[in-house]
Amino acid sequence: MIEKEHIHSAFDRDLHNLQSSVMRMGGLVEASIINTSRALADNDEELARKIVDDDQLIDGLESEVNLAALELLALRQPIAQDLRFVFAVLKIATNLERIGDYSKNMAKRTTVLLKTPPPNGAVASIRRLSHSVQVLLKDSLDSFAERDAEKAREIIVRDRDIDLMYNSLFREFLTYMMEDPRSITPAMHLHFMAKNLERAGDHITSVSEQVIFQVTGEMPKDDRLVEDTTSYEAVSMGAVN
Amino acid sequence: MNSHGTGEKPAASVKILARDVNVHYGDKQALNDVCVDVDDNAVTAFIGPSGCGKSTFLRCLNRMNDSIESCRVEGRIELDGESIHDRSLDPVQLRARVGMVFQKPNPFPKSVYDNVAYGPRIHGLVSSNQELDELVEASLRGAALWDETRDRLREPGTGLSGGQQQRLCIARAIATSPEVLLMDEPCSSLDPIATSQIEELIHNLREKYCVVIVTHSMQQAARVSQKTAFFHLGWLVEFNDTNEIFTNPRDERTESYITGRIG
Ligand SMILES: Nc1ncnc2c1ncn2[C@@H]1O[C@H](COP(=O)(O)OP(=O)(O)OP(=O)(O)O)[C@@H](O)[C@H]1O
Ligand SMILES: [Mg+2]
Repeated sequence: MIEKEHIHSAFDRDLHNLQSSVMRMGGLVEASIINTSRALADNDEELARKIVDDDQLIDGLESEVNLAALELLALRQPIAQDLRFVFAVLKIATNLERIGDYSKNMAKRTTVLLKTPPPNGAVASIRRLSHSVQVLLKDSLDSFAERDAEKAREIIVRDRDIDLMYNSLFREFLTYMMEDPRSITPAMHLHFMAKNLERAGDHITSVSEQVIFQVTGEMPKDDRLVEDTTSYEAVSMGAVN
Repeated sequence: MNSHGTGEKPAASVKILARDVNVHYGDKQALNDVCVDVDDNAVTAFIGPSGCGKSTFLRCLNRMNDSIESCRVEGRIELDGESIHDRSLDPVQLRARVGMVFQKPNPFPKSVYDNVAYGPRIHGLVSSNQELDELVEASLRGAALWDETRDRLREPGTGLSGGQQQRLCIARAIATSPEVLLMDEPCSSLDPIATSQIEELIHNLREKYCVVIVTHSMQQAARVSQKTAFFHLGWLVEFNDTNEIFTNPRDERTESYITGRIG
């Protein structure tokens, strides 16, 4: 999409700054996900603590984005694609902040896991899911920066794979717990981490939907077919014990 | 969709229909094949860069262009399904049905009262002084000016403030009970408060009238109108619901214009 310049160049500058802040926020969230995965693999408590602390930076950037967007609305009264841009930025910032929270929550759990080592293979499974989510986030941020609705649409489709991965991880962890009750504590923590990643994927989908709306002016229809099906597995869970 | 959400608006009916309207000033073409349906009981905004033909088109709707020597209007324009170019239709009568408010408030150099009473008198709309008094009061109330002028009816209209003068012109326009009100940049010389008053008035006028407004303020078009037409270089580029035009215009030229981009 070719971006035409505004007659009033300061307007372009404001829009550009807003976009940069969102991209910076996205970069921090991405780093947080990568670091959480590393902290888990390396049993790195210090890194885990740093992730928890650094979440404040993400929250700070979100406030900064909100303020700048508010100011832009008041002073420049954007309309049409400019208005959609500001609207998208506000929503995307909220999504990113939430993803950051999920990552922080995962980091906290890694410190607990230091005391109760998880079963072999389980950590690798989480790391694979984490990597997929991180790449998905990166691509969705690219689609935002490039105003590429096609790319954003692909991400929504790819989020279904995240859901599928989560569903199979859920079963994997269930198996560990059934085989060895001592693994229940670590497996439960790992399960919550997987759930956090799955939720992060939903927020990434929401980012992509905002990109589509911003670029095309149309909200994509919600036709996410594959969802978390584990809510329906209560019966089999009850049968465990 | 009705952005003001009163919810009581009846289904829109077409008040003015224009088809293939072409206008020339001498050999210069000012409008090309303009087709538009203007809804009754609604506000329609015309927007577009200076010189694109908004005023020209507005003047076609009550045949004000007739008085411009070099101006030639072709095409079909109907008011309630009847051609306004029909020979049996008296242009003076047409202008009583299709009133106009101009950019600069232009009260007659007469009293507030006489400004409003002028139209009803010449059109013979009243049969007694009492009736005229009532009509003047109703028109001033309709233009949201009564409270400010009830004690000043005999003072000259030109002594009012700019915003009051513009509302006086609106009172004058509605005194003849028109069906359509054309307004050419009615707020361009007014402060924000007077502008808000006129906008509030326009919003209320649409309950009784078909209103067409030309404006250079995008915010104003967005605030008061239900439909917006974007003109560019003598062409009607896009005509749609106002909320569509301002959230998701279909034509790139509209988008560039309303967002202030280099076209
Ligand atoms: N009386 C006239 N004689 C000759 N040309 C005219 C006349 N009135 C308008 N034009 C020309 O017709 C074109 C459309 O003019 P018009 O006044 O309709 O534009 P507009 O959209 O109302 O512009 P603005 O926003 O500046 O009021 C312009 O090129 C203008 O120069
Ligand atoms: Mg004009």
